[in-house]
Amino acid sequence: PYQKALKSEDVGLKFHMADSLYTVGKYKKALKLMEQVVPEYRGKPQAEKLMFLYSDTFYNLGDYYLAGYQFERFSNSYPLSEKAEEAAFKGAKSYYFLSPRYSLDQKDTKVALEKLQEFINKYSNSTFIADANQLVEELTHKLEKKEFEVAKQYNRIFDYKAAISAFDNFILDHPGSEFREEAYFMKFESAYQLAVRSIENLVEERLTTAKSYYESFKRNYPESKFQAEAETILEDIEQRIDNKQV
Amino acid sequence: GKKYTIGEITVSGAQSFNELTVITFSGLKKGEEIYIPGQRISNVIKKLWDENLFSDVNIYVTDIQDNIVDLEINITELPTLNETTITGIRKGKAKELLKELDLTKGKKVTKNLLTTTENFIKNKYKDDGFFFANVMMNTNTVVDSTGEEIGQNLNINIDRGKKVKVKKIHIAGNNELTNAKVRRSMKNTKQKNPIRIFKRSKYIKSAYEEDKASLVSNYKEKGYRDARIVSDSLAIVDEKNIELFINLEEGRKHYFGDIRFIGNSIYTDQELKNFLGIQKGDTYNGVLLQERIADDTDPDADDLTNAYQNNGYLFSRINPVEVNIQNDTIDFEIRIYEGRLAYFNNVTVVGNDKTNDHVIYRELRVRPGQKYSKRNVVRTIRELGQLGFFDPETIAPEFKNVDPNTGTLDMEFRVEESGASQIELQGGYGGGGFVGTLGLSFNNFSLRNIFNGDAYRPLPMGDGQKLSLRAQASSFYQTYSLSLVEPWLGGKKPVQFSLSFSHTIQYFYDFREREADRDRRFLITGGSIGLAKRLRWPDDHFVLSHAISFQHYNLKNYNTGLFTFGNGFSNNLAYTIGVSRNNTFTNPVFPLGGSEFNVTAKLTPPYSLFNNVKYSTLDSDPEFQNPDGSPNQGLIDQKRFNWLEYYKIKFKGTWYTNIIDKLVLRPQVEFGFLGAYNLDRGVPPFERFFMGGDGLGAFSLDGREIISLRGYPNQSLSDQDGNTIFNKFSLELRYPITLKQMASIYALTFIEGGATYDGFKNYNPFQLKRSAGAGIRIFMPAFGLLGIDFGYGFDPIPGTFQANGWETHFIIGQQF
Repeated sequence: PYQKALKSEDVGLKFHMADSLYTVGKYKKALKLMEQVVPEYRGKPQAEKLMFLYSDTFYNLGDYYLAGYQFERFSNSYPLSEKAEEAAFKGAKSYYFLSPRYSLDQKDTKVALEKLQEFINKYSNSTFIADANQLVEELTHKLEKKEFEVAKQYNRIFDYKAAISAFDNFILDHPGSEFREEAYFMKFESAYQLAVRSIENLVEERLTTAKSYYESFKRNYPESKFQAEAETILEDIEQRIDNKQV
Repeated sequence: GKKYTIGEITVSGAQSFNELTVITFSGLKKGEEIYIPGQRISNVIKKLWDENLFSDVNIYVTDIQDNIVDLEINITELPTLNETTITGIRKGKAKELLKELDLTKGKKVTKNLLTTTENFIKNKYKDDGFFFANVMMNTNTVVDSTGEEIGQNLNINIDRGKKVKVKKIHIAGNNELTNAKVRRSMKNTKQKNPIRIFKRSKYIKSAYEEDKASLVSNYKEKGYRDARIVSDSLAIVDEKNIELFINLEEGRKHYFGDIRFIGNSIYTDQELKNFLGIQKGDTYNGVLLQERIADDTDPDADDLTNAYQNNGYLFSRINPVEVNIQNDTIDFEIRIYEGRLAYFNNVTVVGNDKTNDHVIYRELRVRPGQKYSKRNVVRTIRELGQLGFFDPETIAPEFKNVDPNTGTLDMEFRVEESGASQIELQGGYGGGGFVGTLGLSFNNFSLRNIFNGDAYRPLPMGDGQKLSLRAQASSFYQTYSLSLVEPWLGGKKPVQFSLSFSHTIQYFYDFREREADRDRRFLITGGSIGLAKRLRWPDDHFVLSHAISFQHYNLKNYNTGLFTFGNGFSNNLAYTIGVSRNNTFTNPVFPLGGSEFNVTAKLTPPYSLFNNVKYSTLDSDPEFQNPDGSPNQGLIDQKRFNWLEYYKIKFKGTWYTNIIDKLVLRPQVEFGFLGAYNLDRGVPPFERFFMGGDGLGAFSLDGREIISLRGYPNQSLSDQDGNTIFNKFSLELRYPITLKQMASIYALTFIEGGATYDGFKNYNPFQLKRSAGAGIRIFMPAFGLLGIDFGYGFDPIPGTFQANGWETHFIIGQQF
């Protein structure tokens, strides 16, 4: 019957068939039929249901690029639909799925965050709110990780000046981040490495700067897991300063 | 007029327009109060006219009852354009022109449309030198089968006439420069001259305008700052020739007077004077002055602006002002606003869909907290382009959040990924049988994800590693190779690590039987491991590299001309040290400038120093003699070449100079020498130089080095066993046809010469095999570089007495 429906001229039959295939989870087959009837139903009352199923089929097939686009079209065309909320959420979540690993360009991540935020603002009582918030958190975390890793790399390739600036920017820009503690510590560590690699007459001044970074680290995170490591470095700094002043 | 209220509005004469649309256009509404006659009606008519859709508009009163008036809008629609044809020029040109004209079906045929089209075409041809081009526009009405008018066909007949040449350029008013000198400053507009072959003397208006400007600036460069063209005119001589009249006013020659710097604090007056390089008393040259202050043509220029821009003064402004003109001497004040120092704050990269951040950020010369430097921005763009992962033509820096108050700016580098993997798949008949090749080269591989299934999309990518695999097989030989390059070993320092393996099996091939004899074979197994490190001294374009390579040759009953022993082995263990410098930019496929040098020395351990073998007397040792007492060359050679002993030194230098536009001149010099530590042991038959042809490495069994020389057959210019010295000089002129991401194409012409020699005794750098020719290269990211060259060899190949003549070379990869 599927092949028959596929070749049939009867638009209603195709729609019906697509609907039942969708219900039982045969999305690939359903999609083929839907693609045939979508243009026919444009502007007709049944289109509302069809367009939602169409979008959701892309979503279920994992074609999030098209799903995002189609859900967005659905939301714009039928703002009053009872499925509008679900469409808005799934549309935003489609962009979430498009977001690549942290070390690549995060354009899609930013779009996803925007869409999720729009959803949260619009449907603040939605059943999807908890999910949406969690996705936002995950994506924010990803963006933070990206910036943090870049800063850490400056430290790794021995460009301590760049590392200090980058950690500084990170601390300033992401007050709630879970990497903040490590950023404070790494900034201190970078300053220490910079100082001990400096030419003679800059060492002391830079050691003192490093020490001040330790203090702000300690003030913000008195019981840090990096405490022990930081103390070791601090001891070395103090010893070096003492040696200078003798 | 009298006041009425509008009742019904009707429309007559409409064909393609809906009546309602016409009413809407008119702006009249039922129930509106108007005066008849009155301003309103004439405004409506004017408004409809202005729509440019009608050729006639009338408004009639059809009925008046009390003060209710019924109106009729009578319109005559303009004919719409049906089809446009162009005659009188070539079909292809006509098609192009049609596209440009954008005369789409349905446009209204107005007088204006016809005139502008006619003028457009006329001007276009004028610009190409067809001064007397004639354009005829004909319209005729088309009716459909029912007799109804559906539009008008337009025929444009172009008679472009003869190309107009400049018979003579008359120059008046010039005293200081001769007529010839003035004419020479006009680069595109030349008067007829039978001996000039490269430039034509056609008259093109836009080029002529440009030339007038360069004429004036030529004067300005020579101190005539007030020079101007008072008037110029054009006289028609006949239908092919025109003459130009230029009337000049030179003014007097001026000189630089005092130059004072104002506002400078970080540089002293003396330092700035040195940057400027202009002395009091020099001939005044406005162009030079501008160039010394800010040279727009060269981002690396040593000009005044860059002195500030490269040291953090992003906000600096430099303004030369003429403060005093006395007689012919102009005093200048160079007013400098230094502004505050600018520092980079956030530095980001966007657009990397495949390449991981860490691969890109480590190459950036612009880092957070750094002082602003234009030079570093320019260099970053060049070096990102050189990575080969991004389209070098579209890398762009974006200045963001530039804040003169805090002295900070953010920098965003926008990149576009380009395909970095190449596939080579070949099959064909060669060497007596089918030869198949499969080569894969992944230039942006991610080795750590090789066992991570999720990363296969379609391949693990993005860590900047290079992995190539190649397999070639035919009925009598097989060769496999694998190589891996990691540009930043350990991710901490730019130390490039490379590793390669290869294995070749060659069976003895009986050409008469067309069969491979699998009992007689020759194996080569080898590998190499290398490290290359960027240096800071003498400058940071230098790279020092080390490599250790090993090859094992194993022969079993394999007697050919190559070896005197049919059973045996040979080992080739060598250390290669190299220094290279590469500052070419920006596009690695088509560098516009910079240079590339490479010196390498490949050394084997000096075994004969300590192995106590007397090679000179081997032939008198009974162990190496035949039963009849004659020396057994096979045994001797096995002894001599069990571990190869040699040293090899090579040099290669390439320069790129951008002449004009994107025309690039590329001179190249190459030199190589292979020597022995122990003359008794001698130079081995391996590792030798073979010159001639396309330089493609066929299947080389003996580590031979193939040096390309176009215009001659492959490896035809060296002795059968190769030579120990070579040199080669070439000069290439390149011009890009397109440098798009999909494909870069450029054309080139070359002259080159080179030769190989056996030992220094025979070395003569002037005895070269010379050739010249032209070719084309196409680079597509998925296939690498492909090309074809036609070269003419001026000298005979050894053993013949006539010039070698034309050769065609197919190029795969970067040989030249």
